Formats: sequence, structure tokens, C-alpha cells
Amino acid sequence: MQLALQQVYALPLKEKILTHTSGMWMQDIALEQGEYVFVQAPSGTGKTTLIHLLYGLRNDYEGNISWDGKQLSATDSEALAALRSKDVSVIFQDMRLFPELTALENIEVKRTLTNTVDTTTIDGWMERLGIAHKKQSLAATLSYGEQQRVAIIRALVQPYKWLLMDEPFSHLDNENIYKAAELIAEVTRQNNAGMLLADLEDNNYFNYSRKIKL
Amino acid sequence: MSNALLQKLLLRTGSRSRLWFSLCALCVGTTLLLVSVAAWWNFKELLEGKHDNDSLGSTFLTIGKKVTDQTMGDPKATLFNTQEIEQLRTAPEVQEVGVLSSNRFPVYATFSSSVGFATEMFLEAVDDTYIDKKPADWHWQEGDRYVPVIISSDFLNLYNYGFALSQGLPQLSETSIKAVSFELMIGRGEHAVKYQAHVAGFSDRISSVLVPQSFIQYGNQLLAPGMTIAPSRLIVKAKDPSSRAFVQYLEEHGYTTNAEQLRWNKLRSVVEIVSGSTGLLAILLMGIGAMVFVLFIELTIAKAQASLQLLLQLGYSPRYLRSYMQRHFVPYAIGALVCGAVITTGMQAGAAVWGKNLNLSLSTLPGWPVWAALCLSLLLLLAMIRRAISEAIS
Repeated sequence: MQLALQQVYALPLKEKILTHTSGMWMQDIALEQGEYVFVQAPSGTGKTTLIHLLYGLRNDYEGNISWDGKQLSATDSEALAALRSKDVSVIFQDMRLFPELTALENIEVKRTLTNTVDTTTIDGWMERLGIAHKKQSLAATLSYGEQQRVAIIRALVQPYKWLLMDEPFSHLDNENIYKAAELIAEVTRQNNAGMLLADLEDNNYFNYSRKIKL
Repeated sequence: MSNALLQKLLLRTGSRSRLWFSLCALCVGTTLLLVSVAAWWNFKELLEGKHDNDSLGSTFLTIGKKVTDQTMGDPKATLFNTQEIEQLRTAPEVQEVGVLSSNRFPVYATFSSSVGFATEMFLEAVDDTYIDKKPADWHWQEGDRYVPVIISSDFLNLYNYGFALSQGLPQLSETSIKAVSFELMIGRGEHAVKYQAHVAGFSDRISSVLVPQSFIQYGNQLLAPGMTIAPSRLIVKAKDPSSRAFVQYLEEHGYTTNAEQLRWNKLRSVVEIVSGSTGLLAILLMGIGAMVFVLFIELTIAKAQASLQLLLQLGYSPRYLRSYMQRHFVPYAIGALVCGAVITTGMQAGAAVWGKNLNLSLSTLPGWPVWAALCLSLLLLLAMIRRAISEAIS
């Protein structure tokens, strides 16, 4: 599945984009499935905006974004739901968990959409990321680090061809970053998928095939 | 997909007491609507005499021409010709016109020697559809020796409360009169023919002595061939006999009818207005009930908006979420309407028992307009629910 951007810029960032050179805004870029792409940018330059545009959460942009040749702006809500449940997964910067559900229920909400990952696997992943003991805790009672690990597992329990990540490790220590990155790389490899990670600082969490400065 | 999780996310926010309040409003509204439709239909059936044994009065009027100083002594002036009958059919409020044909031959009735009573009399006949209480043995054909007769209930009242009391004679019940047979002689001299007759029934609608039409036709052909048989009275089925246009038509043409029946029909108009107003009020209440229920759904969705948006962001299909919400709320709506229908059915059955005691024939189940109103209400409510959910989840 190819991700293509043609002369894309977010309307709220118009002034900044027109006065500064960007590696992604106002460019023609084609990313192939299987590529590991890192997008580096300082705060306030549109990392989250970019992830939201690619995931179809916002449409306040100019240019064309297309997944496998299909323009995102012309995609209806049902097709968008299919894209999000089968082709593109996301880890939000702000986690976006349901506070009234437990850690496990938050993962189950996503898992039951496609039923492609069994519950034993999820138990194993929670164990690996050190949150197995928090399974039955309400998301609202978890620390940011724990919430981030739940959000990571939630993004991995569906089939995907692309994984979009917006500062996915911002609340984790190095040890947990290593564990989480290892799990993400493993599952992404199994899915033969590509990934796009947006972060503040350069890093080598993954074996990136392309690094872009936003 | 896990319905338990969706229920936790989307429906836990709805207050149970608000749900039951809105369902009660919907049920009360539905019940009032269905009961008013049932009442209107029952009333209509009774008035239009769908059942043979109705006695609520009717929209049937017997019409004759006024006998004035100018028309006195001129029998033809008080008869209806074909043109007048046709004109009456197109008069305001008139739905049907039936002809009361009378005998053109002498009739002499003799009761048994024990009663010792004989009298000359008249007979009339009308199409069977205009008879309010048609007896089971209401038929006659050439060769039959027995002639069934229907007399007006007024005649019996006149006898029982007037003649019998003043003459010291015994009062008679309907059953006892039906048991008495008498001799009916038609024609005179060598052409006279004798029959046995009995009172087969009583009419609240037609003030006359009725025999089957076939008997009058046979007698007129046999004993008065060639004589004019133009009717002197007509029976009219009118939609609203109390209407100004209809009354004015009768006055302009010099026709006369029973003023009491017109007054009754005025009352009928009042009852129809009242039942119509109740129906409108019931529609309003049903509408309010439906609105309250739909508002409850909208409120539930509004409260769960954050969860709903996140579910959509995670890849849940809007169609699936809409269908989930409909599957949750529609059974409640159907339940409330069915509850209203059950209460209405119970009340109809009660009304049928009550009516039976008053000699009014009411069906034990609500009529088809009630079911039609129920189906229509259900369809409208489902459309409202569907629209509310579709607008909230897109």
C-alpha cells in the first residue's frame, strides 16, 4: 500500500510553510509499504497535524493525500472506517484511551473489530511491556507511561499495512522504549507493513529507511 | 464486536429513570391515540348501522312531502316522482335514497276470536338494506302462506303506554307479540286472498308496518294492475342530517321528516367533534411522547459523544454504530407501542361487554383503523429514531 503526498500543507500552518523550507510540506512524496520513515520536527511545526491528516482525522489542508491511489479527501466515512480498521493503525500522542474502561478493555475494543489477534498473544505483549498487573485497572488510574504502553498494544491488535506513530515513547524510560520498540518492530515485520514515526529528536529506535525533517 | 463494551461506552450515560419516563409518555400517548381511534370507529359503526341490531339511532331519515292546504285532497301532490328521487340522491349530505313502496290494495287484519280485534290497515316495503333489525325469517315468495311483518317500536309504545292503559287492556312484551299470529286478508270480494301473518320484529328506524318487498309487489300486480305505484315516503341515508345545507334543502322542497332525528343528529355532530378533538389531542400527546423518547436518545448520544468519536477514530463503522444504537432503542419503542395496543384491546373488550348490556353490538377486538394507526405510529416513530441516530452518528 502506497502513501502519496502531493503539495500538501495544513491550512493553519500556511504562513510558516510558505516562509520556511520543509522536507514534507509542499512536496511530492511517495512512501512504499515496508518503508520505515522518521519525521523529525520541533514543537509546533505540525507533527501531530501531519499524523492526523494522514489518518483522515482532519481535512483542513491543501494538496492531495492518497492511500494506494485513493484520495483521502474523497473517501467516505465507511471507507475511512475500513482503512482505519484494516490498513492503517495509529498511536496517538495523547493516547486517547477510554478512561472508564480497564487497560484490557481498551485493547479489546480495538481487537474485537477484526479478531485477528488472540487474547493469549495480548497477555504476552502486556507481560513483555510490564503492564500485565494493570490489566484490570481503569485507564484513568494508570500513569502516563502505562497508558502509553496500553495505547501501543492497542495499535498492534489489528492488521495494518502502515503504522503511524506520534511521539509514541514520550512518557517511557529507555528500558521501556527498547521493549516497546522491539515489539512494534516485530509485529510490523509480521504484517509486512511500513511505519511513519514523528518525534522531536532524532533517534534510532527503528531501522529507518528514510528520515525527513518537517 | 463486544456489545458489552459498546454498551459500557455508549449507553451507560443514559439515566434509567429518564428512559422509563420517556417510555411511559410514549405508552400513554399511544394508548390515548389508539383509544380515541377505537372510540371513533365504534361510534361510526354504531351510527352507520353496520350491525343489523344497532339501536343507537342512525343517519337514516324517513322523508315525505308536507301536506298543506294546497295539496290536501290531491294524493299525487304528495307522491315522489322519479325526477325528484334522482334529485334527492345528489342533495347535500345524502348518501343513499331508498323507496318506501306502499300497498295499492285493501288490507284487512283479523286477530283471533279470543282477542276479537280486526282492522283495516296499510303496508309498506323497503329494500332490506334499510331495515335496522332484520329478522331471520324475513322473506316471502309467491305461494308462501306466512307473511312476516315488522312494526315500529313506537306503535308498541303507543299501545302499551296509551291505548292499553286507557282501555284496561294488558300490556304486551315484544316476545308475546311475536308469538301471536293473525289473519291478513288482501283484496276484496272474489279477489280476496287470505294469509297468516305474525310480527317478526320491531324497527326503531322506520315508523311503519313493513312487509317484504316481494309481497307488496305481488299484491300490487295482482290486485291493482296499472295503478300508479309512486312512493309517498323515502328513506334517506345522510352523512350529517343536521347540516344546515341538508335542512335547507328539505325546507326548500317542502319535504318533512322527524325533527327528533335531526336533533339526535345534532348531538351526533357534537359527539363527533368531541371525539375528533380528543383524537387531535391524542395525536399531540403521542407526538410529545415520541419527541421525549427521541430527545432521550439524542441526549444519550450527546453524553457519549467523546466515546463515540474515539470509536470512529479507532475504525468503527458509523453504519455499525448506528445499527447498534437502533437495535438498542427500537425494542423499547416497540414495547411501549405494543403496551398501548394491549391496553386499547383490553378497553375494547370491556366496551364490548358494556355495550352488550345496553344492546349495542360492539366488536371485542379493535377495528382495522386502530391497527392502521398503530402501524403508522410505529413507522413514524422508527423513522424519527432512525433520523435522530443518523444525524448524531455520521
